[in-house]
Amino acid sequence: MLDLLHQIPTAFLFFIAAFVVMVLPQGNARNIVLLGTPIIAAIQVWTLGMGEFYTIPLFGFNLELMRLDSLSRIFVLIFCLAAFLGNLFAWHIKDTIQQVSALAYAGSAIGAALSGDLIALFFYWEGTAIASVFLIWARRTEGSYWTGMRYLVIQIASGVILIAGVSLYYYDTGSITFERMELGSVATWLIFLSFGIKCAFPLLHNWLQDSYPAATITGTVILSAFTTKLAVYALARGFAGTEILIYIGTIMALFPIFFAEIENDLRRVLAYSLNNQLGFMVVGVGIGTELALNGTASHAFAHILYKALLFMSVGAVMYRTGTSKASELGGLYKTMPKTAIFCLVGAASISAFPLFSGFITKSLTLSAVAHEHYTYIWLALVFASAGVLSHSGIKIPFFTFFAHDSGKRPKEAPLHMLLAMGLTAFLCIFIGVFPDFLYSILPYDVNYEPYTMEHIAGQLQLLLFALLAFAIIYRRGLHPPEIRAVNLDTDVIYRKFMPSIFMYVSFVVSRSFSSIHKLSKLMFINFISRLNHSHGPDSSRAASWPAGAMVISIAALLGLALFVIFFS
Amino acid sequence: MIKKVKKSTQDYPILGRWISWVDKPGSNQKIFYILIILCIASFGLEWTYEKHAYFEIENYKGFYAIYGFIVFSILIFIATLLRKIIKVREDFYLEKSIDSEVYPEDQIQRIDHNA
Repeated sequence: MLDLLHQIPTAFLFFIAAFVVMVLPQGNARNIVLLGTPIIAAIQVWTLGMGEFYTIPLFGFNLELMRLDSLSRIFVLIFCLAAFLGNLFAWHIKDTIQQVSALAYAGSAIGAALSGDLIALFFYWEGTAIASVFLIWARRTEGSYWTGMRYLVIQIASGVILIAGVSLYYYDTGSITFERMELGSVATWLIFLSFGIKCAFPLLHNWLQDSYPAATITGTVILSAFTTKLAVYALARGFAGTEILIYIGTIMALFPIFFAEIENDLRRVLAYSLNNQLGFMVVGVGIGTELALNGTASHAFAHILYKALLFMSVGAVMYRTGTSKASELGGLYKTMPKTAIFCLVGAASISAFPLFSGFITKSLTLSAVAHEHYTYIWLALVFASAGVLSHSGIKIPFFTFFAHDSGKRPKEAPLHMLLAMGLTAFLCIFIGVFPDFLYSILPYDVNYEPYTMEHIAGQLQLLLFALLAFAIIYRRGLHPPEIRAVNLDTDVIYRKFMPSIFMYVSFVVSRSFSSIHKLSKLMFINFISRLNHSHGPDSSRAASWPAGAMVISIAALLGLALFVIFFS
Repeated sequence: MIKKVKKSTQDYPILGRWISWVDKPGSNQKIFYILIILCIASFGLEWTYEKHAYFEIENYKGFYAIYGFIVFSILIFIATLLRKIIKVREDFYLEKSIDSEVYPEDQIQRIDHNA
């Protein structure tokens, strides 16, 4: 049985399951397929060992569909886990589009992580874009339709840039193997840019904050796991040790914390927070040492779990109240205490409190940065860590479940949501308490002890004093209040300014054109009437013309034609 | 629709009743004092181990404490300023965004706790 399973590329398991789901009637059978597929895929990957297992020829190229090594394996395993937890959270969904999309999306992301060459990577890269947009459109509102279109354009553009880069790369090197590349040629810059779009690099990031809050409640949980972490994997595979990534990652870790602080939609706060967490991973890739890449991989693993947990808890609140806006929420712990506790576990994990998953993964990256003596980068990342506490550690749980009482008394989340959140919360704590499990599946051997007194005390000081600052600021009423508003980000350029400029330019051009047209028409009519007046049948000249003038003119024209034909 | 009426804590689930301690008069102050004690304790931990710092600055006693406090305050200050610059009305992007939309009722299940 296992041998048969090993014959099928992992991604295809998900695609087959997606077809099966389409055929099966709604109900338990369908849900079992949705939950069973990631488990079977994880078993397959776990038992397969390392190596390249599936090659298919395509137009003279050999596509490697199953390259399992220590880097791809950890990403595939966490993708399987995320798909399982996401589908468990979405147990109540009776929407075929979302179910098929979730499987196809997870399958594409896993396929991309297992691709040994750039062409297979491209196919799966586009697969993630197309499959995932349905999770946004499934909301079935006008806003989500337009948001989905924006998302799709940017994601497809990333794929188009990737294939352009791959073509040039093949032209330059004669190889399509997906391995480490050096930035320098147009080809590698294009591939880098393509990865950067999906990874939400600064100024290329807006699709993330725009689209994730627009997806369905369960769709956002699924979306949060795959696309960006796939991009992190692609960067780790293709551009490990590329110094520019250290600076890009630092900016990524820093700038979203300010936006997250004043954002009202909690799912958008989490999207900014996701962006900030990606920054830590990108810095790790930029450092590129074994310790740093271990930091990136482990952070991606832990991050997918606690971010999913936070999206689930806000999603559960939304499922019961219809909103994820901080200004409308508050005091929900009273009737949703379990969801509140799970949210607090997610908040503690992302804030990297000792005994929670973030602590044992983020310290790997920070130690790697310190080890390479990037002082300012390190200081900036510690700043960003305090920022994480601010928006994800405090803002999300505090303004949802505590703070001012909104008066809402919703029922606790449904059982399957509680199960999904409970399981994810358990994993967040398990990884934090027993880091050796996660460390054992990292790309490189780990020789690192996160629980030293120095680490624990330093981290506790940072977090507790930041909390103290929050307490003082909040008690004095200086904390920015939660208000119904939207904050502009750079996407205002293509959502407002560019359409406005386009409208203005098209208005000016169309007005000018019609004026010129009217004027020229007037001038032309004027010219003809004057000509008619002077040379027309009723003109004074016509009276003196001989009757045979027309015949003479035609004869002259024919003569000219003969002359031209004779000499041509 | 969820009724926006305050119920007595007796109606809450057990876990909710336990946590409702945080809303009792004076709890706010107690939590604040506990936090201060924890801060002092974490500061005191500095004397229990020997530092193997990568950077000189880490060797200062209470570096993380002071840095955490200051950067958090700076963060809030800058964010407050930033809001003044970039805040717009919720319907700024109108129908092309979900900001001013209501989440479809058929995709959620509003149930009141006491229902």
